[in-house]
Amino acid sequence: MTRMKCETVRLTERRDLRNDYFSFTFAPFSAADKCRPGQFVHLKLPVGEVYFRRAFSVASVDTAKAELELIVKVVGRGTRILAALRRGDSTNLLGPLGQPFKPPRKRERVVLVAGGIGFPPLLFLAQKLITRGHDPKHITFFYGGRSRSDIIERNRIRKLGVNLRIVTEDGTLGEQGLVTDPVKVALQDHGDNCRLFACGPEGMLKAVNELGLTLNVPGQLSLEAPMPCGIGVCLGCVVPLTAGGYARVCCDGPVFEIGEVAL
Amino acid sequence: MTPDMKVTIAGVEFDNPLLTASGCCGYGEELAQFYPLSKLGGLVTKSITLEPRLGHPPPRTAETASGMLNAIGLANVGIDAFIRDKLPFLAKQKTRIIVNVAGATIDEYVEVSRRLDDIAALDMIELNISCPNVDQGGIQFGSDPKLTEKVVAAVRAVFARPLIVKLSPNVTSIADIASAAETGGADAFTVMNSVIGTAVDIDTRRPRLTNNKGGLTGPAIKPIALAMVDAVHNRSRLPIIGVGGISDWRDAVEFFLCGATAVQIGTALFVEPEAPLKIVRDLKDYLRENKLKSINDLIGRLEKY
Repeated sequence: MTRMKCETVRLTERRDLRNDYFSFTFAPFSAADKCRPGQFVHLKLPVGEVYFRRAFSVASVDTAKAELELIVKVVGRGTRILAALRRGDSTNLLGPLGQPFKPPRKRERVVLVAGGIGFPPLLFLAQKLITRGHDPKHITFFYGGRSRSDIIERNRIRKLGVNLRIVTEDGTLGEQGLVTDPVKVALQDHGDNCRLFACGPEGMLKAVNELGLTLNVPGQLSLEAPMPCGIGVCLGCVVPLTAGGYARVCCDGPVFEIGEVAL
Repeated sequence: MTPDMKVTIAGVEFDNPLLTASGCCGYGEELAQFYPLSKLGGLVTKSITLEPRLGHPPPRTAETASGMLNAIGLANVGIDAFIRDKLPFLAKQKTRIIVNVAGATIDEYVEVSRRLDDIAALDMIELNISCPNVDQGGIQFGSDPKLTEKVVAAVRAVFARPLIVKLSPNVTSIADIASAAETGGADAFTVMNSVIGTAVDIDTRRPRLTNNKGGLTGPAIKPIALAMVDAVHNRSRLPIIGVGGISDWRDAVEFFLCGATAVQIGTALFVEPEAPLKIVRDLKDYLRENKLKSINDLIGRLEKY
């Protein structure tokens, strides 16, 4: 039986992206090859100002180098501490944790919907699907943000060969509007044989969930919640289910089927 | 020489004095992904009630300075599903199993305890008369000495094996409650449950928990827990299991010195699931360095002014 463990890793590369966005590469991460898109790691921050670990979706891995990449936006105390890390600093990781996205069938059209900092798990999913032989032309990557400054790593997505559709609320980049507007049109065009994957703010997830249900498109949503433990014991990160009761975001999710969670 | 880490509480021998606290390790399955549970002295389950409970709507937790607030609301599978689905796994673990029992009424405590009495897989029960997060039961039994004695005596009548009572710090005199529990037939105490507290989101002007208040745990409450252990130790000769904010071996030593025979690790498990194992290793080093043969040589050895 392989056991889970917490391990010390070093920050081997940091890239300051635009505004408050950062890419961090940690190594050596012994479980890099076990990471699946949609899963997350629980990161212990090196100073004592925050008590709990912080959960971050895996953005990419390099299994040969045992590297793990996280893409993070500074939103509070924990992420501010993280953003102060320098190359060579060490920290402690636990993971990968949580349920990954279920891969679509080979010929299915894939619609990815990313909102703001919900982008990293979908980047990882797109990369993995293409490595596994999914035709990039069958993947549409909708990427929404409030403004131009919320859209990062555009060239990286383009290089994958997927159909990238950028949507900003203020129209400073790509189409103007809400990302779910063109998603709706795309889903209506694709008809059957299509699968949705989304991660982003609650309002966006709600709208995508609604689209999936009304247009009868199956798919999955990746949720976010503050998580004291990340391993299913504290019952602190629960979300209500449409069938009644609660599910733990950390280990029953963070990926849930469309229609499963009462958003 | 390897120091002796064995401790005995109410006739039950523990391989080491590190237990996991109720509500911080579920029913054991998740922690077993990290290490064999046999490395723990014992495991205390999530509180079990007669019927399944869903718990409170989220948010149920809030991080605070050196700790956290929680109001989970005794979410649990209920006694039937516990016995059917959770006990078989626990029965296979070579560690001491303590089942935490909660209820809204004395009858509920009694019925749950009665159902557990003839189950060989468990070693003790821990009566939760101190949960601050439910409307009925819990702390109401733990804050009135008469009610404490009544509920403990009622459970004592149906449960023949070792009975631990988990006490609340949210009382005028924890020693009086301890005495009442002892009169009711308790064999040991767990000191203590969480400290009532709250936190406010100043933007929304709402409490950060849907329960409006919760129980504070983590390093922030360790000084309170130590004072409570000391108070109970001064009053009663019954063994004490100390709990509240323990993160490392130094914290554990403080509890032993104040009179705890064993300790429970709670919130620290969320940050370091392996914390109890590390504490056992470090305690052994500490005993060796201080030329002590046994962990028992520390218990209650506080040199007071």
